[in-house]
Amino acid sequence: MTGSFAEFRRRTFSSIMFGLCAGGAALIISILLLVIGYLVWIGVSSLSWEFLTAVPTGDVANPGGMRHAIDGTIILVALASLVGVPIGVLAGIYLSEYPTEYAVTGPLRFIADVLTGVPSIVVGILGYELFVVPVSRWTQSTISYSGYAGAAALAFIMIPIVARTTEEMLRLVPKNYREGSLALGATRAQTIFRVVLPGAFGGVATGIMLAMGRIAGETAPLLFTALGSRLLTHNPAEPFPSLTLQIYTYATGPYPEQKRLAWAGILVLLAMLFVVNLSIRLIAARHARTRVGA
Amino acid sequence: MTPSSVATPPAPEANASGWSRESGQAPPESSAGATLRRAKLGDALLGWACRLSAALIALMLISLIVVLVHSAWPAIRQFGPGFLVSSEWRANEIERPVRDAAGKLILRDGETVMETLPPAFGALPVIWGTAVSSAIALLIAVPISLSAAIFLVRVAPKLKIAGAASFLIEFLAAVPSLAFGVWALFVLAPIFQTYVGPFLYRIFEPIPGLRWMFYESVTVAGRTIERPIPLTGRDLFTGSLILAIMILPIVTSVSRDVLRAVPRTQIEGTLALGATWWQSCIAMLRYGRSGLMGAIMLGLARAAGETMAVTMVIGNNNQISPSPFAPAQTMASVLANEFGEASEGLHRAALLYVALILLTMSLIFNVIARRLVIGRLASVSH
Repeated sequence: MTGSFAEFRRRTFSSIMFGLCAGGAALIISILLLVIGYLVWIGVSSLSWEFLTAVPTGDVANPGGMRHAIDGTIILVALASLVGVPIGVLAGIYLSEYPTEYAVTGPLRFIADVLTGVPSIVVGILGYELFVVPVSRWTQSTISYSGYAGAAALAFIMIPIVARTTEEMLRLVPKNYREGSLALGATRAQTIFRVVLPGAFGGVATGIMLAMGRIAGETAPLLFTALGSRLLTHNPAEPFPSLTLQIYTYATGPYPEQKRLAWAGILVLLAMLFVVNLSIRLIAARHARTRVGA
Repeated sequence: MTPSSVATPPAPEANASGWSRESGQAPPESSAGATLRRAKLGDALLGWACRLSAALIALMLISLIVVLVHSAWPAIRQFGPGFLVSSEWRANEIERPVRDAAGKLILRDGETVMETLPPAFGALPVIWGTAVSSAIALLIAVPISLSAAIFLVRVAPKLKIAGAASFLIEFLAAVPSLAFGVWALFVLAPIFQTYVGPFLYRIFEPIPGLRWMFYESVTVAGRTIERPIPLTGRDLFTGSLILAIMILPIVTSVSRDVLRAVPRTQIEGTLALGATWWQSCIAMLRYGRSGLMGAIMLGLARAAGETMAVTMVIGNNNQISPSPFAPAQTMASVLANEFGEASEGLHRAALLYVALILLTMSLIFNVIARRLVIGRLASVSH
């Protein structure tokens, strides 16, 4: 039994690593519960019906609500997704399904990776230079912060994320599915829409969901584009409110009543993300079941 | 047989004569020809939509670089590459009394002699802050994330907790940085100020080699003195820790997706060959290395460019200190703090120069992370 000690060491090392892996998972979950638990605990005690329905009063002792900011975030995310999701998914399809064309796939994937690494504050500054400054010059007005500029900045963040996750998920679909479909006479478009995309639906939806969640919670890209507003407005051509901007203003400000609103705002933001997260997860699960059943 | 929604395979002789270019065909086959034409049109449309979208991604990067370089040009021309190694940052010109070699004020006609320092900008402090905080965050987060991902894929399904655990971690990935920032500002920073900071001070301060962690050298009235750094809880260490917490979920959830896609036969094969649990995990990590690389890369990108949470707790001080307990500033936080107030001119150009460096740095981080991860996983295989 020459190898018995080595064998013992090998097994022991494996057990230790097992314990560390379990510990890692437990650590992340407990951090989550700690952070979310605290935010919810304080947030619930600050939340009120007025918070959801009223607009800011301008009175620091009785600051009103955040209806304007909730509407603003929903509109900004919808505008950004309208542009970002189709372009992102199509670009992801290109990266995954047209890999040999012109030998540009590698560089394009690299560019998409670089773009997902572009810090959100830089995107905000780009949005300022690209949308706010020229529009101001064109209309010869004061600095033209607008909801459109904010949505454009958010779409800029969304597109590369959706493209890369879509690509990664499409690549997980086995190659012989595609070959089988093509061999039965299906065209490339039919193969992509009826075989590849449905096979990766859950993953693609998760990617889109993560991207939407990310932009809904973004503050930095909006600081110099949408700017924020205390008014209830649904016109994206004006300086536009967002939940995150309003929370940031209140949390870093000096007034305790506004800080309470910031806590409540974060709770609302988290609740919105939770609902989106959960619903898309359920859709993905149902879709997976029907695919198996078909 | 399902009704034919896909193009019907044409007859062999039509195929031999190049059916794909055939426009008019015999009456029984005309509907098949129309279907075929429609299918080809669909193919072409999809192809061009995909190509345009992909081209837009390239255009995004180009516009990013062109716009930043163009707007930062006044600062680039004035400071050149020296911007990277200069540590002065004065947004406005300041007046200060002139001192002689001994540090004494110079008096003339009963008045102190003043000198005016012009605005000056240098990026070294913010580069330092970004690099150090990202490095600490990655060192903490990556081992935890990879081990948790392995647990979620290999162990959690057997315990029937995979769904719940995955959902929690995915949700944590969706929590915006602003929420972490508010939490860090109101909860983490006070805890560090009151408990953790003094505790670390009691343990490490007596160790002779670690004095630099708690003392800084400052020049007051011409003399250099050493004084303790006030432990405010809003410093590089707190900033790094919140960064680590923030990149945990994104690295974990992407790694988990990658590891879950490893075919079962790969794991069963290694186990059948006598591998221990951990050895089969290494085989999994090797199989998914390109995806894991993407996961870590995402985490690094998020750490280096993270703005809001860091801005709220890092202390916002444009000075280099070796101590992790001194307030610092990252490139992202200086942009968030000063860009809105920067009037037209050199200050704004200098901030755009910082943004350009931040962009370049994130590109370099991406490339290095890619190389490192491939190299390490390859060496594990031998």
